[in-house]
Amino acid sequence: MESHAPLFRMEGVSKSYGGTRALERADLTLRAGSIHALLGENGAGKSTLIKVMTGVVAPDEGVMTLAGRAVSFASPAAANEAEVVCVFQELSLIPELSVADNIVVSNPPTRFGMIDRKAQRLLAEEALARAGASDIHPRALVRDLPLSRRQMVEIAKALARKPRILILDEATSALTASDVDKVFRMLKGLRDEGLGLLYISHRMNEIKELADDCTVFRGGRKIASYPAGSKSDAEVVQMMIGREVSSVYPAKHRPEVAPAPTPAAAPRLELRGLSWADRLHDISFDLHAGEIVGLGGLDGQGQNELLLSLFGVLRGVEGQILVDGKPVALSGPARARETFPGIALIPEDRKTEGLMLPMSVRDNLSFAALDLLSHGGVVDAPEESAAVQRMIELLAIKTSSPDVAVGALSGGNQQKVVIAKWLLRGPRIILLNDPTRGIDIGTKQEIYRLLRRLADEGAAILFYSTDYAELIGCCDRVEVVYDGRIRRELVGEEITEHNLIAAALNIVPAAEGDARGGH
Amino acid sequence: MANPAIPMPAFLRRADPAVLIAFACILVLLLIGSIYSPGFLTAKYLLQQLKVASFLGIIATGTMIIILLGHIDLSVPWAMTMGAMMGCAAAALGPVGSALAVPFGILCGMAIGLVNGLGVAYLRIPSMIVTLASNAVTQGLMVVYTGGYAPQDAATPAMRFLATGETIPGLPNAALIWAVIGTLAILGLRRSVFGRAVFGIGNSERAAYMSGVGTRRIVMLAFVVSGGLSAFAGTLLAGYASKASQSMGDTYLLPAIAAVVLGGTSILGGRGSYVGTIAGVILVTLLQSILSVMQLPEAGRQIIHGLVIIVMLLLYGRTPAAR
Repeated sequence: MESHAPLFRMEGVSKSYGGTRALERADLTLRAGSIHALLGENGAGKSTLIKVMTGVVAPDEGVMTLAGRAVSFASPAAANEAEVVCVFQELSLIPELSVADNIVVSNPPTRFGMIDRKAQRLLAEEALARAGASDIHPRALVRDLPLSRRQMVEIAKALARKPRILILDEATSALTASDVDKVFRMLKGLRDEGLGLLYISHRMNEIKELADDCTVFRGGRKIASYPAGSKSDAEVVQMMIGREVSSVYPAKHRPEVAPAPTPAAAPRLELRGLSWADRLHDISFDLHAGEIVGLGGLDGQGQNELLLSLFGVLRGVEGQILVDGKPVALSGPARARETFPGIALIPEDRKTEGLMLPMSVRDNLSFAALDLLSHGGVVDAPEESAAVQRMIELLAIKTSSPDVAVGALSGGNQQKVVIAKWLLRGPRIILLNDPTRGIDIGTKQEIYRLLRRLADEGAAILFYSTDYAELIGCCDRVEVVYDGRIRRELVGEEITEHNLIAAALNIVPAAEGDARGGH
Repeated sequence: MANPAIPMPAFLRRADPAVLIAFACILVLLLIGSIYSPGFLTAKYLLQQLKVASFLGIIATGTMIIILLGHIDLSVPWAMTMGAMMGCAAAALGPVGSALAVPFGILCGMAIGLVNGLGVAYLRIPSMIVTLASNAVTQGLMVVYTGGYAPQDAATPAMRFLATGETIPGLPNAALIWAVIGTLAILGLRRSVFGRAVFGIGNSERAAYMSGVGTRRIVMLAFVVSGGLSAFAGTLLAGYASKASQSMGDTYLLPAIAAVVLGGTSILGGRGSYVGTIAGVILVTLLQSILSVMQLPEAGRQIIHGLVIIVMLLLYGRTPAAR
């Protein structure tokens, strides 16, 4: 294809927050009719760059040109006016309004000064169809939609603004596999229409499939721009984290190193015919000490409910839960965390369920273990400080002091705090709900290694992930959930992308090698 | 848009600007008062103000805990009145009743708090509704109680001693009691498991629950404490005025909430310090005192009182929670 004049160009843009230099003389060139991937760890400056591009923050220095003309956006509205639209990682929808209301929220069609409901619905339908989500009813309330559908509404909302430049910031992290396909097709269509797309994702395979150009950021600086496919994965990862990585995933259990738990020992956690409402049906499996068991399947098949029921959050769960062979009655998280030998849940949404964002790192870290760090209801300050410091060191949490508000940390470090606050209790059963969503690859690797180490030390880990590569790389066994049932159990070598996807989509396994899994 | 990447300077975290402003306003009011009346800056007058402030301070302690949780307690007026009336009523039962008058009054207030707490924590009714309703019900009960005959409404000697006596010469007992309760509140909010849970729930009840904290128990306990403190202040006020009367609590609800919020506690919960509440209580008390020294008519006093609170809230009550 002929080289285009750049649709958008950014030169020498810097931005500091207080003393922190978030962006340092950054350059970026976005061609019309191309998909440009931004790569980098959390805190690399990608988010700041997007905020500058969309008028959320003003740059300290540097110039931006749009189609050859110098621009500066005073507000997100001004950026939208110039047809620069962003789909943010954090959802911006209003839960109590309908899908259609949300899609046209900034500029609803009016008639006689009132909102024209019919025109609004048509606009919304069109935008949803364009996003490939015509299954969502425009009049449905956003709060009734699962996370993945909300994300699609978010994309439709961006499309309804008829952008010339569309920015997607981790927009696919909450999507199901089939949605991702649709979104990719849509994005490629938009590219062919001549839009410039800026795509941010921590998933390398997505970038490989989509991007025409890539730019790597690290520590607020641009490291390199290159045509997609001209660098190997290892080179890209090394540019992102600035050091050599041996392997993304730690070694799994090898029988000769650590023998599988003897069958005689009761499983750490045993599920017998667990059912709840119409979301979980007759789920049974065991979880042994030293094991990492994955929960696979498409998003929203009951994995979240399963983890919540094991943490005592759901009422009216039928079936039996046994810990170390003894049945337990879990009436709530307070009970679950005290059930010997301790159950912990790293929840789905760290910002609302995992952390109290305005509170300090210290308060958050000790919050779930205050009963252990206090005497007669009074917190033992030295003991607390020591425990907090231990956790900050153990997980290498990057914070200038334990008194910093946890909301000021990067996403990856926030997630580390959520994990650390539970590790402080020393739980032997650890449930994780998609713990690596939207965090950078360096932190992901640390979390993988940590999980493996905890398992080696005797913890039993149940790990739900929407990222198949993670399940393949981390888990000793994967239970694939479909429609609230365990569709298939994959062990060891059986854990392949093909098997995971087939089971997730409830496809009868084709004759792959042998037909072992078919029943 | 709040930017999570901005680290907060340590000195800003330690000294809440709202607390500093509140103390600055206190100085300004003292200055204005001394210009207006030469008797204002005397130890006698200021100690008298401290005594008056103590009643509000005790109430505001409970109000603050509830506001920190992200709730509100509107049952303060009649929890106070009920505490006072029931305390006086107990005194009618002879010497034993007289000795137990204050604890009995507090117990009655805690009962109202228990009802509030059950409604908010277990039935999930918004606190504004539950406490407004329990306030009305309590009012009704007290009207019925005083309607048929003239019950004992004189304060016991113990009440009078607690409110107006001086164990330490020069310092009113009421102020001493507030000092004890305040110290407990500072330590409790900063250092106790209960205090941490209160802040945690105020910031994110969901996250607190998911951390295994018994959130319902904490919320209920907080309402019981608030009801008890209101009733305690009610018995002290009865001691101060020598008798319990029907409308004695009416003028304390707004000042209590105002004192807490002026002291920098976020009305949305999760953020605040007791030092700020102390400043807020003194500020509100001085303001009321100056308005009465100026000999404004009651209506004018109410209008200025309300306006000053609105202006102060506009000045710093809207600072967004750090996130």
